[in-house]
Amino acid sequence: MTVTRKRILIGLGVALLGVVVAWLLVLPRLRPHVFGGAVIQSNQKAPNTELVSADGPVRISDFAGKVVVVYFGYTFCPDVCPATLDKLAESVALLEGRADEVQVVMVSVDPARDTPEMLEEYVTYFHPDFIGVTGDEATVNRVATLYGVVYRQAEGTEATGYTIDHTSTVILVDREGYLKLVLPFEGSAEQIASDIDYFLG
Amino acid sequence: MTRKVVLRSVIPVVLIIAAAVAFAVFEPIQVLPRIRIAPGYLLVNQDAETITSEDVRGDIVLYSFTYSDCGDECAEMNNTVAEVQSRLGEADTGDTDVRFITISFDSERDDPEMLTEYATRLGADTAQWEFATGDPTHLENVVKSGFEVYYQQRSDGTFSFAPVFVLVDGWGVIRGEYRYQTNASDADKIVHHLDILGEEVRNSHGAASLAYEAAHFFLCYP
Repeated sequence: MTVTRKRILIGLGVALLGVVVAWLLVLPRLRPHVFGGAVIQSNQKAPNTELVSADGPVRISDFAGKVVVVYFGYTFCPDVCPATLDKLAESVALLEGRADEVQVVMVSVDPARDTPEMLEEYVTYFHPDFIGVTGDEATVNRVATLYGVVYRQAEGTEATGYTIDHTSTVILVDREGYLKLVLPFEGSAEQIASDIDYFLG
Repeated sequence: MTRKVVLRSVIPVVLIIAAAVAFAVFEPIQVLPRIRIAPGYLLVNQDAETITSEDVRGDIVLYSFTYSDCGDECAEMNNTVAEVQSRLGEADTGDTDVRFITISFDSERDDPEMLTEYATRLGADTAQWEFATGDPTHLENVVKSGFEVYYQQRSDGTFSFAPVFVLVDGWGVIRGEYRYQTNASDADKIVHHLDILGEEVRNSHGAASLAYEAAHFFLCYP
């Protein structure tokens, strides 16, 4: 084997190795992230109204540096809220080591019945780090409106009392407090986890 | 030597053709920016029925903001809505319905009866163009804070307000705000934007959606 041929072979080997490395490292990064919902590109700051948790007043800005997952629900909620909170708990679990960089907050759409204590007991049943917040009717109405959420009292059974119909979207707020993503109720835990992961960077 | 020369002349040609093809493929893709989340609302319409932001999920909605006792100040806005409605055929929105909702600031005066009278006066077909109002505090949250449209009642009961149209997509995201600051007529612009939005909605599934998301990423805004 001549020296030139050896050089060519080595050159080819290096080139091949380069292609493999590029394939494994670069290509997955080039593929765009597919979001599970509508991404808001402009800089819309998430409403920063003060609400109340069992541990005292809470604002979105308290969680600066974390990705905040905002969901509107209530403790008497028969189906949609438990299903969503379960799913969010699963998403957080999927993030494994980065789970502490995420904060899930449920805002009550039933301020008349939900006390901060009831909310705490309810949301921590799904995940110990979840936070439940409420406020007076006017404050909750304002916050919900600004998150694109609407709710109204509906008739329930005698056992449950009234129920509340409400928008069931899940909203992601990035580390800087910008409202970034609106996810529909149907999204999977894996999709939500991958979207949170995207905003964790 | 000759091979080198051939290569040198072929490569630029190939690049130019590739660029032209890329331009032809990507240039027609225009998207409207996703500006903000549209506010959630619960209002009462001209038929005394509640209408909520959830009822219009999946539809494209053009909102306008006036009140029935408004007179000439609102005539231009209402004419624009009517013009857009009559020119909907120019915008291909496929299976997606386009609706018009006029929100009245005057919740005290504009009960369903007044709103019906208003709709009749404007010749509006309420199956597509609805009129609604609601609780004053909720209205302030929705219109002032959510849609970012200013209004204020004067001492004589009339309102001073900023004439604004807001375009919201089926996902509940604000895609257009028209505040009388362009040379083009608002109706022209809105019809054109409905067409762009319709195309994006039609391409919101499958491989094409990636190209549209890329268009958002590269800010291909009209």
